[in-house]
Amino acid sequence: MRSFEHFNARTMEEAVAILGRYGDRARVIAGGTDLLGKLKDEILPKYPEALVNIKSISGMDYIREDNDVLKIGALTRLEDIAVHPAVKQHFGALAEAAGRAASPHLREMGTLAGNICQDIRCWYYRYPNNRFPCLRKGGGRCYAIEGDNRYHSIFGGTVDDGCYAVHPSDTAPALIALDAVVRTTKRTIPLEDFFDVKVSATTVLDPDEIVTEFEIPQSPGKAGSHFIKFALRKTIDFAVVNCAAMILIEERKVASARVCLNAVAVKPYRAVKAEQAIIGQELNESTAEAAGESAISQATPLKDNGYMVQLAKIIVKRTILACA
Amino acid sequence: MNADFQQTPNNLCPYCSAAFETFDGLKAHVVAVHKTEPLPKPDGLIQLTVNGQSHKLLVAPEWTLYQVIHDKLGLTGVKMFCDRGACGSCTVIMDGRPILSCMTLAIECDGKTIETAEGIAEAGHPLIDSYVNHHTMQCGYCTPGFITTAKALLDRNPEPNESEIMQALAGNLCRCGTYPQHPKAVLEAARTLKEEHSK
Repeated sequence: MRSFEHFNARTMEEAVAILGRYGDRARVIAGGTDLLGKLKDEILPKYPEALVNIKSISGMDYIREDNDVLKIGALTRLEDIAVHPAVKQHFGALAEAAGRAASPHLREMGTLAGNICQDIRCWYYRYPNNRFPCLRKGGGRCYAIEGDNRYHSIFGGTVDDGCYAVHPSDTAPALIALDAVVRTTKRTIPLEDFFDVKVSATTVLDPDEIVTEFEIPQSPGKAGSHFIKFALRKTIDFAVVNCAAMILIEERKVASARVCLNAVAVKPYRAVKAEQAIIGQELNESTAEAAGESAISQATPLKDNGYMVQLAKIIVKRTILACA
Repeated sequence: MNADFQQTPNNLCPYCSAAFETFDGLKAHVVAVHKTEPLPKPDGLIQLTVNGQSHKLLVAPEWTLYQVIHDKLGLTGVKMFCDRGACGSCTVIMDGRPILSCMTLAIECDGKTIETAEGIAEAGHPLIDSYVNHHTMQCGYCTPGFITTAKALLDRNPEPNESEIMQALAGNLCRCGTYPQHPKAVLEAARTLKEEHSK
């Protein structure tokens, strides 16, 4: 790794001030499991001049139930979320997603904020030493369109620039299905609007903005939620397709539904069509099947990733059924 | 905090790198020019407790915890294989959590307590004997990573079942394929620990 300036911030204000001074030449480091890999492989178009450590800020690591919301600190480790009794009981999708991310060691290091802010895993983007100067590095083209795109977007590229790399997070779809909001040092954003496609960034955050907290509303009534991940290995692997859903059933009919897929599009993909298909129906094998079919109705797979459409369909069906 | 600061070479100002003959001169400069007080400790000076022994080290920002433990402190049980956080061979226990030392910056570990395979062996932990008895290694390169991960598991959960053990060790890779032996060895270590406690 090449060198950089390093700051152990003691307060959030200090961290923001340092970031303000450096602008986009500095990076925030929390768990570090994504960032250090990128620095070692030299895949960032601009190697950061400074890292600002926010683990040194105390009191950012908590899970607590306040009134009708669950609050999770930005630096809460994924493992702590996965084993937390209240999260397991009321927010099953999140506990499952946090517990299926990466490997046990990485879950002990990685934070919830880091998991939603992580960078894309496209193998052209990640190829060491900037071998492929792709769109996400400010270069001129997407190498996945003509190359091997078996793990790329089945819902098209971005409108402006045509990047087909998928968002790899496991917790993001769970948080979206659970209708979470994210609080930053500047604003409060519904998690759905948090993601963006920019040069070496996957979020709408400004260079001097830091995620501080997540808020998840306690589900009205007895909504059930679930998360399913399909990956080639059980551990230390990213999802080929994952899906989280929250379903509320009243008088034997689905009263409300939120379904979100990830690793299938450039941002977490809220399957609105699947939600519309299942709301007002009884939850059973055939309605869930129809919802899965609707979820992929707008899919436009590339030459190598047609199988992901089938996967998405089945995973949506299974996730919805598991919510009952 | 000031006492630590005095140990840095040449009384260098942490903000503008100006050198001063005395610590008091530096302190006056920082208050007058940079308008901050008290003097912050330079980020690179860290204190680590490794296997019960305290170390004070001046580290560069880009040094990983692995580099410090393996290269500087000479504890070679911490192994380097993938250097990307995907294999588990550099696992150490930091404040009770099994973490990957290759993906941790040493400069961020000030005040932490760390345990390596050497410390676990010196303490006479039954894991060592049970790993030998069950032939839980061929080349042995991944073994210290497995041992530290298993120790962290037993600290939290003294009576794990086989699936809990498999889950906890899911971040450690072994290219020799010794996987079936690990749950047996950890179960035996857990039994031995229980017997020791009941005595």
